[in-house]
Amino acid sequence: MKNVTDSFVFLGHWPSAGSFGFNTDILATNLINLSVVLGVLIFFGKGVLSDLLDNRKQRILNTIRNSDELRGKAIEQLEKARARLKKVEIDADQFRVNGYSEIEREKMNLINSTYKTLEQFENYKNETIQFEQQKAINQVRQRVFQQALQGALGTLNSSLNNELHLRTINANIGMFGAMNEITD
Amino acid sequence: MNILSYSINQLKGLYDISGVEVGQHFYWQIGSFQIHGQVLITSWVVIAILLGSAAIAVRSPQTIPTGGQNFFEYVLEFIRDVSKTQIGEEYRPWVPFIGTMFLFIFVSNWSGALLPWKIIQLPHGELAAPTNDINTTVALALLTSVAYFYAGLTKKGLGYFGKYIQPTPILLPINILEDFTKPLSLSFRLFGNILADELVVVVLVSLVPLVVPIPVMFLGLFTSGIQALIFATLAAAYIGESLEGHH
Repeated sequence: MKNVTDSFVFLGHWPSAGSFGFNTDILATNLINLSVVLGVLIFFGKGVLSDLLDNRKQRILNTIRNSDELRGKAIEQLEKARARLKKVEIDADQFRVNGYSEIEREKMNLINSTYKTLEQFENYKNETIQFEQQKAINQVRQRVFQQALQGALGTLNSSLNNELHLRTINANIGMFGAMNEITD
Repeated sequence: MNILSYSINQLKGLYDISGVEVGQHFYWQIGSFQIHGQVLITSWVVIAILLGSAAIAVRSPQTIPTGGQNFFEYVLEFIRDVSKTQIGEEYRPWVPFIGTMFLFIFVSNWSGALLPWKIIQLPHGELAAPTNDINTTVALALLTSVAYFYAGLTKKGLGYFGKYIQPTPILLPINILEDFTKPLSLSFRLFGNILADELVVVVLVSLVPLVVPIPVMFLGLFTSGIQALIFATLAAAYIGESLEGHH
């Protein structure tokens, strides 16, 4: 009751109190109810909140662990892939070296064979040239001979009169006669 | 005579104890403006609580969050979820805005319901949640309006105004009206809820000082949280609405 009257007196003063100050009246400031509410809130809220936060932390931990595992696996795979790459590179080098020598040899072979073929062709060419030359010479020869024969025939025809004809025939008959005698 | 003056005093005392301080403000004069000082003071306290706790929480960030960092990351995740569900794909740039709205309103409401503001006496008026004052909620709601206009205009340019005649041009007046009703409803809802909560508590306390107000205080805590969530969700929804394409 004392308290209530106190609060009456106090409240009676305060609308005219034109300055800052502290209200020490426990009932008017609602302190008890506020502390009860706060207490209940903390008591129940703490459990819920800590559960929530623990769950979240656990989830994050799990995620981190999972990603760590994945990372480890990925690194392992990377290592494996690197080793394989190294091996393949060595193989490739070997193949390349082998291939180069092979190519070199092939080249030499090819050059040699080509050289031989070329030589052969050269020979053929020379022979052909000789042959052609021979042919040309023969042709020329034939031509000259023909012309000479024609000339001779012309000369013969132009200068062949009865007397010469007779002489020739006689001479030939004589020759044949001599040949006949020889064969007999 | 004596008795009469005594009874008048008694009545005055009764009037005072049941006198609920609504509409009384602790005015500050800045330029030609009258400022509600008690709102600013409590806002500063709320801002200090938010900034201080955030600064402490991120003081030494760790890969595996513990304690305060964990809690604040959880809150951030929650805000991000809210903005993601309301805004959609392009929610990322709006998380700070939505988060600021939600956290400020939430901490304001809960500070009004949990902190014993009445211990500190002002020359006029009394300290309460900042959202208890219509000016705060109107400011927050107008910020939301500006935000969703900004979102729409930056995304679509002047084509944003095409949504006013979107389903049919007949709806133009209603669509324009919506831009006024959105901040109005946002601010009045928040203001009304918080003021009503605190008034109910104050009235009950003045009638029965102990135990009886406690359930109502819990109800106040609940509605305060819900109101903060509603405000943030609606702000995000409005932003998302002006961001979404009509094609």
